Amino acid sequence: MEIKQTALAGTLESSDIQITLSQGSNGIQIELDSSVEALYGPQIKQVITTTLQAAGIDNTQVKAVDKGALDCVIKARTLAAAQRALGTVDEPNWEVL
Amino acid sequence: MQIREYNLRLPRYRKRWQAFMEHNGIHEFGQAELAPIEKTYVWEEDGELAATGSIAGKVLKYVAVCEKFKDGGALFNQVVSHLVNEEASRGRFHLLVFTKPKYVKSFGYVGFKPLAQTDQGAFLESGTPGVSDYLANLPHFERGKTAAIVMNANPFTKGHRALVEKASAENDQVYLFVVQADRSVFTFAERFDLVKQGVSDLTNVVVVPGGDYMVSSATFPAYFLKSDQEIGAYQAELDATIFRDSIAKPLHITARYLGEEPTSKTTAAYNAALSAVLAPQVAVKIIPRHTEAGEIVSATTVRQAILAGDQDQLARLLPPTTLTFVKENFADLQARIQKKGSK
Repeated sequence: MEIKQTALAGTLESSDIQITLSQGSNGIQIELDSSVEALYGPQIKQVITTTLQAAGIDNTQVKAVDKGALDCVIKARTLAAAQRALGTVDEPNWEVL
Repeated sequence: MQIREYNLRLPRYRKRWQAFMEHNGIHEFGQAELAPIEKTYVWEEDGELAATGSIAGKVLKYVAVCEKFKDGGALFNQVVSHLVNEEASRGRFHLLVFTKPKYVKSFGYVGFKPLAQTDQGAFLESGTPGVSDYLANLPHFERGKTAAIVMNANPFTKGHRALVEKASAENDQVYLFVVQADRSVFTFAERFDLVKQGVSDLTNVVVVPGGDYMVSSATFPAYFLKSDQEIGAYQAELDATIFRDSIAKPLHITARYLGEEPTSKTTAAYNAALSAVLAPQVAVKIIPRHTEAGEIVSATTVRQAILAGDQDQLARLLPPTTLTFVKENFADLQARIQKKGSK
């Protein structure tokens, strides 16, 4: 599915992650900012990528500012951003989670 | 902790907010800074102010957290987070911050990247499209001598034309950046169009929008004030640093051409700051003002001539392309100038 508009979900508070999705044409490109990047960077990116693919997004620029979010939070924020970006907020795709 | 919205137009809120800002070391409350503010939020604890932040277009302003709060870092993140979400709900995802150097780190933790830093101030951005997207959309030149001119061109005159001709003759290619902030009598679209038409015969000149990076209203509100007002020298310095590090370097620009400024204090101070900051990486060439029949050509004079309805003077100062546009929109322009004052 194509991204219709840039969208954001999440906050910058402790244990949360802020995900911004914007239009891209070169696969899923993730720019990650995290204090635990050295340890968990690959895993955070993996969770974001899997969630986006499950939501049917193959091309997007992702900006993620992580404040130590757990995987379930990363998934939830990514999905929220994806639905806002796709304009499908009214028809949640629960199976993605 | 409770979040509230403050209306700074109400004196009692304004007073309380300003006292808090001053307590935290911010002392600039000029009209140019305050007027663009759309929303101001404060965080209160037991009726006491703990933190505040405001939004003005895509710019986050007046962010402050009281030192008394031990978990100031978490509160700071909460403030920025709230502002970023407010901006997102308005459809703005590319954000700018102009702050003191000591806060660069704090903004760095929440995803902001510094574009330029001087001793007094720093300029950061976050989100898309950022400076790399901006640069990617410009043509790139791998060889030859590349120069740049930044102009507001409000509107494009024979003086601007002379400056561009000189740069065009002395270099292999010239970037002509048109200031994008829409704060002038002529809109950005009009100014951009007139510049494009006015230099269409010079094949090595590319006319491009200045984006948020050249004389941005975020860094440089004073530029758009009346010219008799003093500007913050540090703002000019910051603007010059952005140009040197984020624009000139990646585009291989080795010279910047400026028009000499005998009358406007603002522009004169801006030119002085550019000369101080850009060299030696970028050579600064100040070209004497172009004159027509002994009269200095400036956009300010043109706007005055439009107001006075002096057709002969306009014909002397403007190239045919701009003259045609001015004639076609004469009454409308007069009304706009009257409303805005001479700027």
